[in-house]
Amino acid sequence: MNSEEPLDLARLTEASIRAEETPQPEILEGRLAKARRSTALWIGLAIVAIAVVFGLITPSHSFVKPENLLAIGLNASVIMLLGVGMTFLIGAGHLDLSIGYSLILASVIGAKTMVALGGTPEQVQTGAYANLALAITAGVIAAIASGMAIGLLNGLLVTRLRLSSFIVTLATSGIAFGLALILTSAANIPYIPNELQDNFGGAKFERLIPYPLLLALAVGGVFWAMLRKTRFGMRTLAIGSSRDAAARAGIDVNRHTLKLFVLMGALVGVAAIVDISRNANTNVSGHQTDNLQAIAAVVIGGTSLFGGVASIGGTLLGTLIPVMLANGLVQMAVPPFYQYALVGVILILAVYFDQRRRERSS
Amino acid sequence: MCDHGMTVMASPEIAIRASGIVKNFGHLEALRGATLEVHAGEILALVGDNGAGKSTLANVICGALAPDGGDLTLWGEPVEVHSIAHAYELGVGVVYQDLSLALDLSVADNLFLGREPEGQGWRRWLGILNRDRMRNEARAALGVLGIRLRSLDVPVRNLSGGQRQALAVARAMMWAKRVVIMDEPTAALGPKQSGIVFDTIRKAADDGLAVLVISHDIPQMLTVAHRIAVMRHGRVVVEVDAASVKLADVIGVMLGEEVAG
Repeated sequence: MNSEEPLDLARLTEASIRAEETPQPEILEGRLAKARRSTALWIGLAIVAIAVVFGLITPSHSFVKPENLLAIGLNASVIMLLGVGMTFLIGAGHLDLSIGYSLILASVIGAKTMVALGGTPEQVQTGAYANLALAITAGVIAAIASGMAIGLLNGLLVTRLRLSSFIVTLATSGIAFGLALILTSAANIPYIPNELQDNFGGAKFERLIPYPLLLALAVGGVFWAMLRKTRFGMRTLAIGSSRDAAARAGIDVNRHTLKLFVLMGALVGVAAIVDISRNANTNVSGHQTDNLQAIAAVVIGGTSLFGGVASIGGTLLGTLIPVMLANGLVQMAVPPFYQYALVGVILILAVYFDQRRRERSS
Repeated sequence: MCDHGMTVMASPEIAIRASGIVKNFGHLEALRGATLEVHAGEILALVGDNGAGKSTLANVICGALAPDGGDLTLWGEPVEVHSIAHAYELGVGVVYQDLSLALDLSVADNLFLGREPEGQGWRRWLGILNRDRMRNEARAALGVLGIRLRSLDVPVRNLSGGQRQALAVARAMMWAKRVVIMDEPTAALGPKQSGIVFDTIRKAADDGLAVLVISHDIPQMLTVAHRIAVMRHGRVVVEVDAASVKLADVIGVMLGEEVAG
């Protein structure tokens, strides 16, 4: 390393501070980037493999028919929305276990708002909403506000009381679920406007792409840009990488963390609207494994549970795997319950690989 | 800040004036009334045994720690630097002992973290980063320190210890307008790179910045610094001209007789 001459391309490949007595190890150029790329490759391969296997074994290859693939996308849309928010949170070194029950609460509040503002009880029950636009608008806002409120609560508890997000969100899932059951006496809310299902939840753009999937992909695109291109995204990963370093760079870490939880909550509200639009009903007894599925999708997608490294594209792809398994199993007349066990196994594998990667790189 | 008038106007040339700084961590009295002045254009080396309070004092001056007592003025301006962001606004650049880098972020992102340049117009409104500008300015700032990296987009995790330290120095120099504080800035560097860092420090001082360097390398400090301040048990016990003091004397004061006070 006798390098006194100025910048020289060949020298640059060796790339280091030019220290004579203590030669620096060559830069481990792009290894992490490569690992990340290979993660995406790995998920892509897994998705193709699952599609091929189910395509071969399902009756008349129904699994790989376009309408079935789009149905998989539709079924993944709620988890995609949740996973996108979760990618930011995990990227910042946090976790949100409350999303499933917060989603139930948001859907209940949204549905109740719609029913209450739709018109007289008779009008609402016959599906002839007098104030349809008002009811839907207010319902959407109420659902998103509900999700954001739980997010705000999570964020305040994590940042002000300095509690672990794991415990905080476990606790607030109970609070959200309890509130939802209190509000509904554990019964679902009927008479949600059919228009929501006809024009959105069950409708397709150009008779091809389900609107909920389109929405999830659009939201994914926006958040991808946010993560990669903006100050907000960069600071999110900085906090996940090193809270102290971010704070010492002058970033208000608590404020940023609070925003992340509220953002997650807003996406929970959007997902709640998608959910009631698809089913024209609330699903008070469902969503127990939404958090598992979203976290699994995020980690499978290459976002590190250690924080600092995140991929929205990986999350969107990662979401597909559990849904494909469920879809394929149903078509094989296998009880879909196996899906949950499989997702658990996949999550453990993903976490294991994440840990191995981290150990190797440090 | 009742002694405002007294401390402020002592001299506009005093860049850092810390007087009677107290800082406790539980039962541990890390600083017991530490007093220190650093003049503009001066390199002051802060030396002392482990646990003497050097890093704590530096952290108070740069706003990373809130003191429990005492007064601080930067460039004649009384400040309660309780936020690091505030210290940055006052033109203080810092190299932390642990470097405080976000290892998963790229070299360029680390240099600008907290002060990211944004694009124009709608890009600015959306908070979109101007990464081209970041790369160009990062390359220039690193070039000054003789750091050559193959790419500024690699995560800092992939850099060697020496490269990371040089990056932290480059970041401090990039943002320091009036004061530079460096906590062991050359601990992981080879002699050549250390030399470049010290040249940079000298140049910064020649440009009128006040430089506070914490180091265990006392012989090196005697050649680099203008003055040496020795800390012991949470106080600055001696301030001497580097030119007129011998290594043995400094070490003697550092280790101190137990009767020190």
